Amino acid sequence: MTHKERVIRALNHEETDRPPFQATFTPEFADRLRKEFHLPPLFSEPHHREWYGYDLERLTGQDALQVGAGWVTNYYLKPEPYTDEWGVEWKIDPYQTPFGEGHYTNIARNPLRDDDEAAMAYKAPDPTRPELYRNAERLVKEFGAEYYIIGRVHCTIFESAWALRGLDTLMMDFYLNPDLANHLLDETARYHKEACCQLVRRGVNMIWLGDDMGAQSSLLIDPELWRTYFKPRMADIIRTIKDINPNVKVAYHTDGCNYDIIPDLIEIGLDVLNPIQTECMDPEVLAEKYGEQLCFFGGIAVQSTLPQGTPEDIAREYEWLKNSIGKGGGWICAPTHHVQLDTPIENFFALLNTIGIEDMRP
Amino acid sequence: MEELLARIAECVEVGKISKATPYPPTMKGMDGAEELTLQALDAGIAPSDILTRGLIAGMEKIGVKFKNNQVFVPQVLMSAKAMSIAMKHLKQFFNDGSVQRRGQFIIGTVEGDLHDIGKNLVAMMVEGNGYEVIDLGVDVKTEQFIDAVKAHPGAYVGMSALLTTTMVNMEQINAALKQEFPHIVTFIGGAPVTQEFAQKIGADYYTDGPQELVEILNRISA
Repeated sequence: MTHKERVIRALNHEETDRPPFQATFTPEFADRLRKEFHLPPLFSEPHHREWYGYDLERLTGQDALQVGAGWVTNYYLKPEPYTDEWGVEWKIDPYQTPFGEGHYTNIARNPLRDDDEAAMAYKAPDPTRPELYRNAERLVKEFGAEYYIIGRVHCTIFESAWALRGLDTLMMDFYLNPDLANHLLDETARYHKEACCQLVRRGVNMIWLGDDMGAQSSLLIDPELWRTYFKPRMADIIRTIKDINPNVKVAYHTDGCNYDIIPDLIEIGLDVLNPIQTECMDPEVLAEKYGEQLCFFGGIAVQSTLPQGTPEDIAREYEWLKNSIGKGGGWICAPTHHVQLDTPIENFFALLNTIGIEDMRP
Repeated sequence: MEELLARIAECVEVGKISKATPYPPTMKGMDGAEELTLQALDAGIAPSDILTRGLIAGMEKIGVKFKNNQVFVPQVLMSAKAMSIAMKHLKQFFNDGSVQRRGQFIIGTVEGDLHDIGKNLVAMMVEGNGYEVIDLGVDVKTEQFIDAVKAHPGAYVGMSALLTTTMVNMEQINAALKQEFPHIVTFIGGAPVTQEFAQKIGADYYTDGPQELVEILNRISA
């Protein structure tokens, strides 16, 4: 069975020899992994904006390879403070772990925060530039026969809009200035819909949309607000993708607790839900209620088990997931976010071992 | 007087900021927290009553609803905005001492961490419940917390983190605060933070939401 077949079968709710696996890494964790495989250090960011090759992904037994497009690829853009082409200002924030120093890039300034006029006049960049999709072309060409290819278009509507406007300001715009909110969401949705189309036409097997809508124990915003502002725009994007190629699967990343909108997501044609943070949603409940209509992607907790647990904890969590959201197929096993630098390397390999992936370290 | 205070509380609870703001649609064109606060002052109602029986009463209600997942972050932001508009008109009474705060609360997201939704919500709810909040922002280092406590003796300190890679910094900050100010009361919170972690690092309180924190503050500062 090729890696690609394993993913396709799982997403058709069929049992496979093992669940398909996918993972992304923060740049410094990626370098620790490279060392394990005796590979030279190389800066790489988890959205695969640039071509870094896919050595680490293949050596860690991953079945799906991903390439990013859209505003999200502005994370980890430069080692020093920068302004991205949308106008969002970024800064570099170092942090310490037992395994060395890491760096996050974080938004330093939302350019439209205090300027309603500029916000109303805002235009997103041009999403049709071919150079934005060169890596996707190459990935499909070089690895598309053997691997399942995911086009990642995170921060699809909400997060890119609030990067521009500020989260708190945009949240109040929903009530105080609906025209402005609608304009910004139209701009971000339009850009990313086009990015999805470009990726689908280049042959990716899955579009992975994303906007964090969940807090730890509830949705961030009122479900009715989500239905007003986000559901129609997401429905339009999913419909457009499926019109171009009905076989392309659509996944959606939303951190946190999202029970309130899952039936809506199924209604608008979503195939796969990610990342299934078990700190926030119960995989047994998800499997019971939605297991027939949805596939699940994620589940291995980067907020607790992977960095802080023992190999036994990881094995226990894996079994729990495999017997709930993974029962009878329908699950891509993956960490719930980029593997973080505070993760002991042996915990990561314990995960691979538990899944049944060969340890390919020399 | 009771009716006016009840209406102020309602405006804060539902996020009716002023007459001009369109939200909520059912109150379009009606007076908001700002106008009603001015009317209450004109009617001679004590500013401390406006604060506690109007504004704080409204924030308490939204806090309980938020805790019970009946309302979400945007509604809390609207309530906080309604309260802060009204507070502008009460500011002089804080300055001249005719209205007292319940205490001071220093808050920040710890070093290395830029996540501020949770921290801001806590700050708003604590302020909304009558405390002075000293918000140090995000990526706050040990020395900044210490300097803030020196400038505000007797203040409580709250630390927030969303990441497992940064919550560990709470341990060092907490230890430094406890060494410098043995009687200080510290709070920690954020998605990966737990009661066990609070005990391990010697922080006084862990809460998983702003309302619980406010309830503890009200109890220990009473």
